[in-house]
Amino acid sequence: MFDFASILAGFGDVFTLWNLGFVICGVAIGQLVGAIPGIGPIMAMAIAIPFTFGLDPLPAISFLVGINKGGLVGGAVPAVLINTPGTPDAAATALDGYPLSRQGKQLKATKMALFSSVTGDTVSDLVLITVSAPLAALALMMGPVEVFALVVFAFSVIAALIGESVVKGLIATVLGLFFATVGADPENTTPRLIFGHYELYDGLPLISVAIGMLVISEILRRLALQGRAAVAAVQTQVPASPQDRRVSWAEYWSCRYVLLRGAAIGTVLGALPGIGSTAAAFMSYAATKSTAKDPESFGKGNIKGIAAAESANSAVVGANLIPLLTLGIPGSVGAALIVSAFMIHGIQPGPLLFQEQGRLVYGLFGAMVMANFANLWIGQVGLRLWVRVVRAPESLVFASALMLCIVGVSMSTGGIFGVGVMLAFALLGYLMLVTGYSVVIFIIAFFLGPQFEISIGQSLALMNGDLGRIVSYPIALLLLGLSVFVVGAIALNRTRQTRHRANHPPLATGENTDD
Amino acid sequence: MNILGKIAGLLAMSLTLGSPVLAADWAPPKPLKLQIGFAAGGSTDTMGRIVAEVMKEQTGWNIVAENKTGGGGVAMFTGISQRPADGTVIGMGVNNPVLINLITRGDTLPFDLDSFDYLGTITRAQLGIVAKADAPFDTLDEMIAYSKENQGLPVAFDAPPQKFLMEAINGQADAGFRFVSTKGGAENIKLILGGQVQVGFASGEHLPYLKSGDMKLIASVNDERHSYAPDIPTVMEAGYPVYVSPVFYFATVAGTDPAAREALATALANAMKTERVQEVVRNATRNDVMNLGPQGTRDMMDKGLENIRVLFSD
Repeated sequence: MFDFASILAGFGDVFTLWNLGFVICGVAIGQLVGAIPGIGPIMAMAIAIPFTFGLDPLPAISFLVGINKGGLVGGAVPAVLINTPGTPDAAATALDGYPLSRQGKQLKATKMALFSSVTGDTVSDLVLITVSAPLAALALMMGPVEVFALVVFAFSVIAALIGESVVKGLIATVLGLFFATVGADPENTTPRLIFGHYELYDGLPLISVAIGMLVISEILRRLALQGRAAVAAVQTQVPASPQDRRVSWAEYWSCRYVLLRGAAIGTVLGALPGIGSTAAAFMSYAATKSTAKDPESFGKGNIKGIAAAESANSAVVGANLIPLLTLGIPGSVGAALIVSAFMIHGIQPGPLLFQEQGRLVYGLFGAMVMANFANLWIGQVGLRLWVRVVRAPESLVFASALMLCIVGVSMSTGGIFGVGVMLAFALLGYLMLVTGYSVVIFIIAFFLGPQFEISIGQSLALMNGDLGRIVSYPIALLLLGLSVFVVGAIALNRTRQTRHRANHPPLATGENTDD
Repeated sequence: MNILGKIAGLLAMSLTLGSPVLAADWAPPKPLKLQIGFAAGGSTDTMGRIVAEVMKEQTGWNIVAENKTGGGGVAMFTGISQRPADGTVIGMGVNNPVLINLITRGDTLPFDLDSFDYLGTITRAQLGIVAKADAPFDTLDEMIAYSKENQGLPVAFDAPPQKFLMEAINGQADAGFRFVSTKGGAENIKLILGGQVQVGFASGEHLPYLKSGDMKLIASVNDERHSYAPDIPTVMEAGYPVYVSPVFYFATVAGTDPAAREALATALANAMKTERVQEVVRNATRNDVMNLGPQGTRDMMDKGLENIRVLFSD
């Protein structure tokens, strides 16, 4: 199936200074907009597409892929530094990244995020380049019934993040699912809970809810804690020692299984449209935490937490191109924008793409490899700058972040309505934070809710309303069985930990492990 | 086209439209917003952004393209209907979602067809019923017979009119089709290729698979046959008096000054005449530019409303 002539020609086309320039520009823009909460790579790509019209297809698509990849690295920076993820994908990165920053290890944490992101991305790109056809066949086998089971499985894995109180965790889940039902129902498109606002017809804008809950609520919390004195946004208690400013090879190597698992989870979920990179990051984080020897150290600054989250969310991006290139099916909004760039240039992704445009496809693969290297280099330089930015006084950092969120959300949702939704959810997020409900669980339930609902509806239609027919779907049965097993294991683990804690009361830390 | 040609074209157009000087002199008093009723990345967005880009170059006006999602254009047109009629906004949407909401929830909407001045259309989607190449039926009649024999055939659809159309066929032929709701044509294709359903709706996403021989077109759902498959009959030709024909159109606030209205319609028409826009439209929808002009667009909406009323009453 490999046509070496077109592979060589493709790589020959792409490795030019001209293309490298576009990749570097794309990655730099992506990292910048990713780091600014509310704008994000999707918005930047949508704005950039008309400008790529005058370019040849290869630099145009390389540029867009660069923005997409850069954005995932950029999103982790504010998540680690000030606990406000730039993109929802990076929410899981904040769980361990921010505690590390508070220990004065912000450079170590951001570098770990960068290395993990590039690792996950490279693994999924290699999978895309080598075995996209069999994976596409796998994606086709996953019909609605299997996707429904997969969402159930995702929920069960993420249950490990539910925190101290099971009841509070369940309430957060139900709230998230409840808000996911706002908008037209998928069967008959009857509007639900929109109260006359047709802006809500397609559901609450994801970006408003995510930024409101994750970023603004955190800013509100910090403002509430603020005294009169001007304090730096990140306080380094001790002058950082050289070991705290870099990631040693031994540290990186100790995360190899975590990174591989993250990359595998991200690649599989990226190849199967519907779950998304945010849920992938949390699944990988939860899996790492629950299989670790020292689960208590997670949420307090364990670099493995960063490795798990960042490798998974970045792996999704490369893998999203698997169904896109082989079947023409976009797995995410980012992928849909790349399809639109393909279409503008008269290229039809789908079964004949490799035959008709093999040279272009391998050129694109070459561009993706270049973008990974560019991410690494630009990231190394950029991180130092970012880390300086957050040394500015807290009042300055949070005021600018707040303004950027408002501008970004109003741009990407097309008006002030999205900003209103964001502020409403900021308030909800703040209330949940101070009363000890997990915002993270809420967000995951909210993100997975629509897919959960539509796949239930589709499954029932396919099984003609007879749930018993699920026995003829072996993959779905397997996934549902695994879900039961995972929930059981988590429950067992919890009782053991509670007993352990009862026998050995921990030193009072006052840390809230939920946030 | 050279500048003289352009001027001649403009003159000819303004003469036929009846207000010669005013239209050419008019310019938007503030930035002109081209609002797109769908999310970034879809075919509507792709076409809208290139039209805005070309219009901006041709007219020198400051034009901003923005996405206003919600209800397939209903949220956007709700917003537009509340704006002053000063010629500073153009909405770009698709007829069917707006028409369906007018029929089903017209009393709760702040607008009706008269709330807008129509400026033109850009193209029509060629919507069809498709199946895998090895499906045991080739025509709509055979598909209905197959559905009856097999206790109902699941059909993947992604917009309400498609479901209404199949329900109309169910009502007339007792076909027993079942409905699997999806998020778009690409997902319909995925379900067909994966074997989870045998038939579904597609408006161009299926073309590469027709070419590769993996899929076949069962029927055109439009009121005419598809340009790429002139041998495949429409649903109406098969004896069911229903059709669905999605048209992408432009409109502005009703009561806009005729000079402004004409300037906007002319600017859109000129942009759509360029090879750049025509190429993008062909690439995005696999169909040619079709500009019905202001009156033609209004007629299309009136006719469409009647059609949706018929579809919905079945």
